[in-house]
Amino acid sequence: MTGAGLVTSLGNTAPATWDRLMRGERGVGPVTLFDAADFRSSLAAEARGFEVPRSGGRAAGWCRTSALAWNAAREAIGVARLDVKTRRVGLVVGGTTGGMFENEAILAKLYGGMHAHDGQAPPLARRGERPPLSPQVNEVLADLLSHPLSSAADALHEALGPFARVRSLCSACSSGANALLVAALWLELGEVDAVVAGGTDGLCRLTFSGFNALQATDPGPCRPFDRRRRGLNLGEGAGFVVLEREGDARARGAHPIAELAGWAATAEAHHITNPEPTGEAASRTIARALALSGLSPADLDYVNAHGTGTPLNDAMESAALAHALGDDVKRVLVSSSKAQIGHTLGAAGAVEAIFAAFAVHRQEVPPTAGLDEPDPACALVHVPHVGRKARVRVASSNAFGFGGMDTVLVFAEPGREEGSRRRAPPPGLSGGGRVGGHAITEGGHAITEGGQASSPRDQLRAPRTVVITGAGALTAAGLDDASTAALHLLSGPIPEAATCGGPLADDVGARLDRTRARRLDRPARLGAVVCEHALAEAARTGAPLDPAGVGAVLGSAFGSVDPSAGFMHRLFAKGARLASPAEFPNLVPSSPVGHVSIYLGIHGPALATADLATTGESAVVQAAELVAMGEAEAVVAGAVEEASPIVEGVFVALFARSPGDGSAQRPPDARGEGAAAVVLEAEEGARARGATILARLAQSIAWRDAPSAEGGDGRTALDELTPPVAPGEARVVLARESADADGLLARSPWSSVPRVTCRERAGEHEALGAVALVVATSLLARGEAREVLVLGLARGRGYALVLAAP
Amino acid sequence: MDKASLKTEIKQLIVKELNLEGRDPASIEDDAPLFGGGLALDSLDALQLAMSVEERYGVRIPEGDEARAIFASVTALANHVAAADEARGSGTLTR
Repeated sequence: MTGAGLVTSLGNTAPATWDRLMRGERGVGPVTLFDAADFRSSLAAEARGFEVPRSGGRAAGWCRTSALAWNAAREAIGVARLDVKTRRVGLVVGGTTGGMFENEAILAKLYGGMHAHDGQAPPLARRGERPPLSPQVNEVLADLLSHPLSSAADALHEALGPFARVRSLCSACSSGANALLVAALWLELGEVDAVVAGGTDGLCRLTFSGFNALQATDPGPCRPFDRRRRGLNLGEGAGFVVLEREGDARARGAHPIAELAGWAATAEAHHITNPEPTGEAASRTIARALALSGLSPADLDYVNAHGTGTPLNDAMESAALAHALGDDVKRVLVSSSKAQIGHTLGAAGAVEAIFAAFAVHRQEVPPTAGLDEPDPACALVHVPHVGRKARVRVASSNAFGFGGMDTVLVFAEPGREEGSRRRAPPPGLSGGGRVGGHAITEGGHAITEGGQASSPRDQLRAPRTVVITGAGALTAAGLDDASTAALHLLSGPIPEAATCGGPLADDVGARLDRTRARRLDRPARLGAVVCEHALAEAARTGAPLDPAGVGAVLGSAFGSVDPSAGFMHRLFAKGARLASPAEFPNLVPSSPVGHVSIYLGIHGPALATADLATTGESAVVQAAELVAMGEAEAVVAGAVEEASPIVEGVFVALFARSPGDGSAQRPPDARGEGAAAVVLEAEEGARARGATILARLAQSIAWRDAPSAEGGDGRTALDELTPPVAPGEARVVLARESADADGLLARSPWSSVPRVTCRERAGEHEALGAVALVVATSLLARGEAREVLVLGLARGRGYALVLAAP
Repeated sequence: MDKASLKTEIKQLIVKELNLEGRDPASIEDDAPLFGGGLALDSLDALQLAMSVEERYGVRIPEGDEARAIFASVTALANHVAAADEARGSGTLTR
């Protein structure tokens, strides 16, 4: 870590925040951003006085979340003295709310003010209405999708980039930590020279009312680990870091703050809001992260805890630390920063990772404010009230999110001895996986012994070959796996639902166990059906997959738009006390994947991605990275999109707003819904368990156009594509036809390869890229092609994945 | 509304608000424990049920141990709703 930047309620830079943090000051006070009078708690930790950029050419302006990110990322880049224009730099942004704060104002206008009429939220468009609504409503509605989860990354790319590779992800309150984890994988994979990574979340009414409805807030200033704790205080902020390989950093004269020595992400597969009470799941994550770093509990001196101040979290986390650290728990200092900066949700994992790194860097540990009477159930070595000097060789940070998404990061003093190199966790830590554990160990040994890199500690783990062993798609053409997808999605009658859009007729609920699926909303159910179907195909031959090593990545371009609007309408109409506690957790972008991990009982990393119309591709690439680097033995990955009158209404409204100069050529297609996923697995593990390998991921390219690029950068990105061995036996699979795809392909080595598209029979939505990957897998599984290129394009971004016959 | 009707209504509310798909409201026993029993409900359900009862009947469910007693069974919940209704002088629920 060569750079760090922070915006919190304590300060608008990392040093400013740290100084006040160490003094035990609290940035918690009455909410000023909106009326919080009727809530259980009216307190929050608001960021103040941070700069809102004027530059950057954002047509829709800067939402609060993106502006927070810009400040922190700019600081981190400045501290690292990183020139993003001369080096290959990646960007990973974690978060949960996107522009919800701004969207709430739009929804308030649309629903007739903050005191909307009682009753159900009216849909903002009805199917087939074109134009659907009055021009005045259209004008307001058109801005509603301006700030999806991916908008912070897009804004940073435009204002601080260009970045070579960009990822937006969400794993609820561990999002920021997972951004750093993904950045580390990119460096290990050699995808980039450096990564700007972090988390950002602005305060908004939706999360504020949601946590209050869950009675998870403390009406007063919160007190983590205290006997009288009653919950958390919400906060907002952003934390960004610059990560680069240590050898590169030293070569360019940069000064490392700390080494990101180890990491681990797992899923508890327990409950959508409550932590697994024994702490066993979190304990495994801590142990795995330490093992990866080549360190033991004896090396650890400080833990920056998740420490929300809720009765359940703090007791669980204390038990987890006691279990993972053994006797060392009586020595290791532990504190939570959340009583001072609030729970910054999607930012927390990155903000608090910086605190852990600073503890190592500055040899001092921040306190737990408000901790007067430590709870005997939280038997830790606390640092109450004010920070203090301490010898800190190694520090870790815990981040736990809704859906049981646990991530642990370990930081060490830079310049560790060569002997203390990073290594793969021994088998058993992942939960005793038969197949998985062996594969990880073999991978780790191979590299440790190989040691070819000039700086061995920079590249200790070699990427593993990734294969596809299962697929599932639920579309207008029905439910398919790899054995049937190409048949139903590329030939035969065109389903009416594919043309007219709207919800699928499929009885999705009937495909699931109704009792276990009762909390799953529609996106989660669509996701669960395709993930279960894909995993069933992966398990059709060979030994079963060990659920301990199976992760999930599910993308969604815009998240739960209509349910979020409905939640806000209810809040406007009925007031704070009647916000729905059960609905709230389903509004987090990672909710579908969280539900899927719980429903399927899988414990590998679980997270969501978002990347507009290439969301499915981003999820699959994310999963491939996790499998390649051994974070999971297998990952079921794809995307889910729910039919949405509001999203359709916005598209129509945007078309109505577009200039009548012919640049927007035709009104948007009727938007449908669907889900698709493939099972990505390490080849060695798949072979070891005797599974049928359907396809091998031969190449994966992701790119972003520079904002100023004429005609885009995809052309140069596609120059890296390996030509098909036999063009006649190859296929190009596109989600949808486009002039951009034609232009790129014409100049590529795949120009003469026959093309097929999925939209005709699957219907139009942003998860279509995942459908394209299922179809590509199916073409190979059915022997209809030997190589397949899946090319996914959306505004200013693209993915090219080459699948080959095994 | 008599007590029996109130209980029937509460059972319907439970099935609907807690997404107990396929569950016949009439199959919920009046005196069986709502939590820790056959319905497999948890603390998130308790919060949703408390909110729904407040929305439907204008009766607040307090937090903590008091709520535990009120949520002991459908009968206990119906008694609380009726008593709170009587206490504010409305009495329309049990008349």
